[in-house]
Amino acid sequence: MSAPNEDNMSSHAQLSSHFFGDLLDSIIVDVASECHRIARLGLDRNLEEEEEELRLSAQARARVADPSNSGEASSKYVVDIFGQTHPSVANEIFECMNCGRSIMAGRFAPHLEKCMGKGRKARLKATRSSTAAQNRYSRGSPVSTYSPYSNSTSMNRLSNGTPGVAGEEYSNGTFEEP
Amino acid sequence: MSTRNPSHTNPKPCNHLAEYKLKYGLNGYNALQSCLKTTPQGKTSVNKHQTEMPRCCFCSGYQGRLYVCLVCSSISCSNHTLMHTQLENGHDIAVDVERAELYCCVCCDQMYDPDFDKAVMCKQIADMPIKNGVEIGEVRLNKRRRLGTGAELGAKKSSKQPISMRDRRAKSCFPLGLRGLNNLGNTCFMNSVLQALLHAPPLRNYFLSDRHDREACRRRSPDRLCLPCDIDVIFSAVFSGDRNPYSPAQFLYSWWQHSADLATYEQQDAHEFFISMLDLIHEKEGKAKNPNKDNGDCQCIAHRVFSGELRSDVTCTTCGSTSTTYDPCVDISLDLDTSICSSTDVANKSVKTNGNTSISTLLGCLDLFTRPEKLGSDQKLYCENCREMRDSLKQMSIGRLPLVLCLHIKRFEHSSIRKMSRKIDRHLQFPFSLDMTPFLSSSIVRNRYGNRIFAFEGDEPDASTEFEVFAVVTHSGMLESGHYVTYLRLRNQWYKCDDAWITEVDEGVVRASQCYLMYYVQKVLNRKANEDLSCLPMSPRGDSFLPIAGCC
Repeated sequence: MSAPNEDNMSSHAQLSSHFFGDLLDSIIVDVASECHRIARLGLDRNLEEEEEELRLSAQARARVADPSNSGEASSKYVVDIFGQTHPSVANEIFECMNCGRSIMAGRFAPHLEKCMGKGRKARLKATRSSTAAQNRYSRGSPVSTYSPYSNSTSMNRLSNGTPGVAGEEYSNGTFEEP
Repeated sequence: MSTRNPSHTNPKPCNHLAEYKLKYGLNGYNALQSCLKTTPQGKTSVNKHQTEMPRCCFCSGYQGRLYVCLVCSSISCSNHTLMHTQLENGHDIAVDVERAELYCCVCCDQMYDPDFDKAVMCKQIADMPIKNGVEIGEVRLNKRRRLGTGAELGAKKSSKQPISMRDRRAKSCFPLGLRGLNNLGNTCFMNSVLQALLHAPPLRNYFLSDRHDREACRRRSPDRLCLPCDIDVIFSAVFSGDRNPYSPAQFLYSWWQHSADLATYEQQDAHEFFISMLDLIHEKEGKAKNPNKDNGDCQCIAHRVFSGELRSDVTCTTCGSTSTTYDPCVDISLDLDTSICSSTDVANKSVKTNGNTSISTLLGCLDLFTRPEKLGSDQKLYCENCREMRDSLKQMSIGRLPLVLCLHIKRFEHSSIRKMSRKIDRHLQFPFSLDMTPFLSSSIVRNRYGNRIFAFEGDEPDASTEFEVFAVVTHSGMLESGHYVTYLRLRNQWYKCDDAWITEVDEGVVRASQCYLMYYVQKVLNRKANEDLSCLPMSPRGDSFLPIAGCC
C-alpha cells in the first residue's frame, strides 16, 4: 500500500483501510474484555508467583552460565554428603542370582544380560538358530532394541550410559547449553 | 443449580448495578435470553433482529461497540451510552452486543453478575446440540469413587509406635531414605527413577508401613515373581540408615525377568522404565485389589498414587456439538512449548531480534497441551448432529488429578524426512510450586464458554490442585549416550542423586538443569511427608537398622 496520504488513496483503498481498522478495533476490545473478566474474577490469581518463579529461574541460569562460578565438579571425584568417596565403577562384589558367580556391581548388568541369554549380543549369537530368529520378532515390544538404530521406532526415548556406544547414525549438531 | 462457585471471587457490583437489581431483579436478564445467540465456538452475542443491523438511537451509527439498555432495549454506541443514562433516569445498565457482557454506562466499565452469567449459560446450554461438553454442577452419573487422600495409604489399623531410635534419627542432619544407588552398568536410567519413587510420599508411606507384606507374598506363592516385593526390599534398604551405596541387583534381575523385551544392557529411557514399573506393579497387585475387574478405579498402589484422568473434547466447527471421552493416564507427556515470545517480553517491549529471547516454560507446555487444536481437513470426523464428516477442533484437559503428577518432557524429535532422531536440549523453566487449576476440565470448559460465573462440572472446592515438586530427573548429553541424574527435595533442601553420589545442591542448580521427568505431589501430602521424615515408624520385621554414621 502506498503512504497513508488520504488524498492519494483511491476510495477503494480507503474503504479497505477503514474496514481493517474496524476489525482490528473489534478484536482489541474483544481481548481486553476477556482479560478484564479474567482479572476481575480472579482467574489469574497466580500471576505474581509465576513471575517470581520465572525470575528465579533466569537468575539461576545466569549464575550457572557465569564462568567465574566454580560450578559443580564432576561428581565422580567428589566426596558425598556422608563423607564417602566412590570409584567411578562400583566395586561392591556380590553373587549373581542366576549363575552364582561373584560379580562386581559396576559390571553386573552386562554380565546378567549374557547370563540370562537376553540382550542384543546374546540374541545376535542366537541368530544362528532359526527358531530364535522367529521368537525375536514375535515379542512385539514398542521399542525396538534389536537394530543398531535403536531409536527409529521409539518415540521420545533418551538413552543413558557411557559415551561412545553407537550413535554414529545421528549427527547431533550443536547443542545449546542448558 | 445455583451452587456458588467458590473458586471465583464474586466481584462486587457497582452501586448502579446493585440498584438496578433491586428494582428490576432478573426480569431484564430473562427478557434478554431470547435475543442471545451462540456460535459453535461458544461465543455469545445479542442478536435481536436477524435481518437488521443494530444502530445507535442517537447517531444511527453501526460501527464500533454497541450496547443495548436492559431497561428500554434501546441501542447506543460507545459515544452515546452516557447520554442515554443522562436522558433516562435509572437506565444505567446495558449489555455489550458483541460479547453479551454487562456494562455500566455511568462507571463506563464492564460489570459482572453471577445471575446474568447464569442466564446466559442457560440459554447457551438450551440452544446447543445435545452433546456440548458442558455438564452442569454436581453429579456425573458414573460411580467414580474419589480416591481419597494419600493419608489413608500409610495408615494401618494398629498405630505403630516409633521405637527409641527415633530420637537419634531426629538429631541426624540428613533425612532418612537418602542413599546412593550403584550403577550396575548403564543403569542410571533405573537409578534416577528409583530415587524419585523412593521419595514419592504416598508410595513411600505404603511400603514403609508394610502394606506389601513380603512374608505373606512368599507364603502365598513361593515360586512366583513379585516386583512389589523387590521394591519393598529396596525401600527397606534405602531407609535402613545405612549410607553406603546400595546395589539394586536383585531388582534388576527381577525386572528383566518380568519384561523380557527391555532386558538389555543397552542404554534405555527413564520414562519407559517408569511406565514399565507401574505396569508390573499393577499386574501383580491389580487382580488382588480389584476382584470386580472394574477398570475404572484400580486400587493397586501404582494407580492409587499416579493415576489421573485426561479428558478429550472433539467439537464440530459447524454446529458446535462436542464428543467427550475420558482416558486414564499415569503421567502426562508434553511437547516443548517453542513459542516465539513469552507474554512478559511483549509487555516489556524488550523483544530483540538478535538471539533467542524466548524461554520455554512448563506452564507454556501445559498451555500448549490444553490448547484447542484444529484437526486437519484430512482428519475430518463424523458429526452426529450434522450427519456428515466435518472439520473439528480437539481439546485436551485434565479430568482428575493424581496424588503424584509425573510430567514427561518429549525431548525427542523424530524427522521422518531425514530419517534422523535428535534430542531437543532446549532449556525448560519449571516452577517449584504448580497450581494445576487452569488445566482442569472445569477451567478449560469454562474458558471455552467465556469464563462465565457458573457451576461447571468438576468444580470441586476441596479438590487439591496445588502441587509441589519433590523430584526432578534430568538428562545430560546426547541422545545415544547421556547420563541421568535425579534431584530430590527433602525438608526444603535439594540433593543431587548421581548414582552412588549424593551431594547437596543449591536450588538454582536444579532450576538451571535440563529436566526430563518432573514429579509433583499434592501440597497437602508434602507437608505431612516432611514431618514424617524424622520419625518414621519402623517395620516389625526386625531388619537391622544401623545408626546413622558420619554426619554432623
